[in-house]
Amino acid sequence: MTRADEEFTAELGSHLEMLTEENMRRGMSREDARRAARVRLGGVEQLRDANRELRGLPLLETLLQDIRYTFRMLRKNAGFTAVAVLTLAVGIGANTAIFSMVDGVLLRPLSYKDPGQLFVIREVVPQWTKSTASLAANFPDFQIWQKECRAFDQMSIAEAIDMDLSGAGDAEELHGVRASANLLDLLGQYPALGRSFLPEEDQAGHDHVVILTDAFWRSRFHGDANVIGKTITLDGEPHVVVGVLPSSFHFPKAIASDTFSARIDFFKPLGGPRFYEQDLIGEFDFTAIARLKQGVTPAQALAELNVIQARIAKQANEKLDLTAQMLPLEVEIVGPARKGLVLLLAAVGAVLLIVCVNLANLLLAQAPGRMREAAIRIALGAAPGRLVRQLLTESLLLALIGGGFGIALAYFGVRALVDAAPLGIPRLDEVAIDARVLCFAVVLSALVGGLFGILPAWRVSSTDPHKTLKAGATTTTEGRRVRRIRQGLIGFEVGLCTALLVLAGLLTSSLFHVIRVNPGFAVERVLAADVDLPPQGYSQVQTRAHFYDTVLAGAKTIPGVESAAWITLLPLEGQGSVTGISLPGSQDPQNEALHANFRGVSADYFRTMAIPILAGRFFNESDHGKKVVVVSQALADRLWPGQSPVGRECIAQWGQLQNSEVIGVVGDVRTINLEAPPPLMVYVPDSYGQEIPGAPGSASIVVRTSGNPDVVAGSVRSVIHSTDPNVPILALRPMTQVVSQTLDARRFQTILALLFGGCALLLACLGVYGVVAYSVEQRSFELGIRVVLGAQQSRLLGLILHQGMVPVAFGLAGGIAAAAVAGRLIQSLLFGVGAFDALTFTGVAAVVLCVGAAACYLPARRTLSLDPMVAIRHE
Amino acid sequence: MGESKSEILQGTLDLMVLKTLEAMGPLHGYGIARRIEQISEEALLINQGTIYASLVRLMQRGWISGSWGASENNRKAKYYSITKSGKKRLAAEAENWERISGVIGRVLRTERG
Repeated sequence: MTRADEEFTAELGSHLEMLTEENMRRGMSREDARRAARVRLGGVEQLRDANRELRGLPLLETLLQDIRYTFRMLRKNAGFTAVAVLTLAVGIGANTAIFSMVDGVLLRPLSYKDPGQLFVIREVVPQWTKSTASLAANFPDFQIWQKECRAFDQMSIAEAIDMDLSGAGDAEELHGVRASANLLDLLGQYPALGRSFLPEEDQAGHDHVVILTDAFWRSRFHGDANVIGKTITLDGEPHVVVGVLPSSFHFPKAIASDTFSARIDFFKPLGGPRFYEQDLIGEFDFTAIARLKQGVTPAQALAELNVIQARIAKQANEKLDLTAQMLPLEVEIVGPARKGLVLLLAAVGAVLLIVCVNLANLLLAQAPGRMREAAIRIALGAAPGRLVRQLLTESLLLALIGGGFGIALAYFGVRALVDAAPLGIPRLDEVAIDARVLCFAVVLSALVGGLFGILPAWRVSSTDPHKTLKAGATTTTEGRRVRRIRQGLIGFEVGLCTALLVLAGLLTSSLFHVIRVNPGFAVERVLAADVDLPPQGYSQVQTRAHFYDTVLAGAKTIPGVESAAWITLLPLEGQGSVTGISLPGSQDPQNEALHANFRGVSADYFRTMAIPILAGRFFNESDHGKKVVVVSQALADRLWPGQSPVGRECIAQWGQLQNSEVIGVVGDVRTINLEAPPPLMVYVPDSYGQEIPGAPGSASIVVRTSGNPDVVAGSVRSVIHSTDPNVPILALRPMTQVVSQTLDARRFQTILALLFGGCALLLACLGVYGVVAYSVEQRSFELGIRVVLGAQQSRLLGLILHQGMVPVAFGLAGGIAAAAVAGRLIQSLLFGVGAFDALTFTGVAAVVLCVGAAACYLPARRTLSLDPMVAIRHE
Repeated sequence: MGESKSEILQGTLDLMVLKTLEAMGPLHGYGIARRIEQISEEALLINQGTIYASLVRLMQRGWISGSWGASENNRKAKYYSITKSGKKRLAAEAENWERISGVIGRVLRTERG
């Protein structure tokens, strides 16, 4: 017996008691009273059965009934079901894919132990903050922190390092991390094979050990477990492999502005500070990561660090102050990507909302038929709550089915996104469809189903059965309120679509502007080859210079090559080396210096890259051994405004202060990237004094061709090879490819935005079409009469168009307002366009109005072209 | 309209239960049955137990609600009270009846004249 049964039995019992008492009051004996009471109440068993039957089936059974009924309904309306499931699959799938990226990159905590306690420590020289807000850490400073700072459990430093692997098969350049021996321990990560580093291996001479990453171990050593203890030759020196990291280990590609390689092959201990790393305020090259002690606040730790920094500054005796900065590791790794990803999520969420709106409208259109059926059921005694439940079951079921397909789509989507996503996005290797993402997909499906089902369900359940059944036999007219709701939904849809299109338009415009930026050099017909001279055999300047001279001479003999040169770092490949430039006679050259980027170049560089000479001359033979430089126009304007700098002297800080003579001024080049303005540039010839080793250890060889640069690629490669086969060629591609690669991130963003905008437009168009088609069909009788009575077709068309476009117009206005606000938010992503670009806004408005008008016109025309007599008779 | 006699009686009984609860406040099954017996002179209730079918129907529609409490003699009994939507329903039905009886009354009067 269930609890409800028990309850009813108790109720009957109490009723019986009360009847018995009444009878007893009339004078019957207890026994007679009871018997009479039973008669008057009725058979208890019968009553219990009737009660049980009336109560109906328990919840689960009704639910199953609903589901079975829903399946039947969905099968009956196969067309509607297919469309609904498809749109839901796309909407939910896209959201799931993007969410998995957002989850893997932004939401999931770093895979290190207690990541909330990990901080990046950067150094700040207050006197330099105008040009450099903060600096990476310095080796000796770090050693002092490690010794004296008590706020941290552990501290370590790391820097990216490239070493050439030789002696075992192909020579290959490996990318690795040179870090404190305790770095892995600090992160809470341990090798899967072998051991971690020992503290003594941080000292000079003891650092010829490496730990390999899982990916490198599998590709190079084919997962051989015997690799532990093996010796490999890196940069000409033997190193012993002592460990292999697990495949689950991730190291960030970038921590703030410090970059590591996308592919990391090995870790190596510090091996003591190198000779150039020993000044207290000298090379700031290392990423410092520290684990905060439990119970210590970041503010306290920072205070302690600053005290130590002040002491270091006094010790360094260089009239500079030193402070520190502490930033959470997570923010430093993920920070830059946050805005773009959140924007992506918002956009894809907006598309999903539009899908919901369309489906709600579709269901509302079905409502009249449903309402009749519902009215009958209510009149026959069905509980309205049951009807609502059944309708919601239908929309939930649709959403879950669509969501199921959506998850399948998301699998492919995520793979495509990760492959196509530009390398700028961190933690991409941690993006996957896992339990969290699946949970999100299911919950989202349920929410979506509830969202678009609630409106029609409420509509149907609040029907008055009398009114509905009394109305026309075949149609039920929509109340004005419902029509308003549908128009409101359309307006909302159009608004979202407009906002998305405006954002997409702004991004597209930005992309075009970036593409049109003049980089300051000739991009066409230049081939670039990056080479890296291994340390053995090339430790002397002369050997290096000889290499380059041979290669350039050889390149010039290739048919089709007009000129050849080298540069330490190609333009558009990043910040490169920075130095301070000041005028002679300044009181405080070090602190008043302008920060300029510098590159070492061979004599023919400017001619090869077609960088115009604006004053003076290029480098030539007569400059050999002299301290001469060429500066860019921007630098000339800053240091010598209104004068010609040719023949004048400037002071450059390369190690020590160097007096250099300016012999030429060249045009500005977008050295760092296309979007940043051209920096102040100093060019140093390959024969400059002693302090700048003229011929660098690694450089890019550039070759100007008369025809297609790809044609000479093979010849250039063989020239380099024949000069020295042991020199690895890191990259060989035309400059057009270098330029194109810098646009990758922006291009990806723009394509996505256009995709979403396009989807939104299509969906909104379908929505408007559906609503107008429905309302026209509803009014076919009225329209037929009007036509018969002589109304002009064009007049009626205008009427329908006018009514259909009203919500579109309101939606457009709202969307433009929203876009104005949103445009402000993405301002940092724009280039060359303001957030309120008139052209973009008017263009989008025109598109939306045209598409909206077309969506209204088509169904109207179709209906009006039918024979009016048919419409009237049909009624 | 196609409703059988028993359905008409059912509907009328439901109406009476609602009216009783509205007029007399919360009442238990026995109390409701007694009152209806008195008013309808036992025309509607074959036995008092049939009240419970009506009570279940009304509860399912959300027009009444029930909760356990103590009766006059401190006996445990389930009390029913009319809900807001129940009151609305009652008013609508009463209006319906008024209208119908008004129309029928007029028809009958004219025929006689």
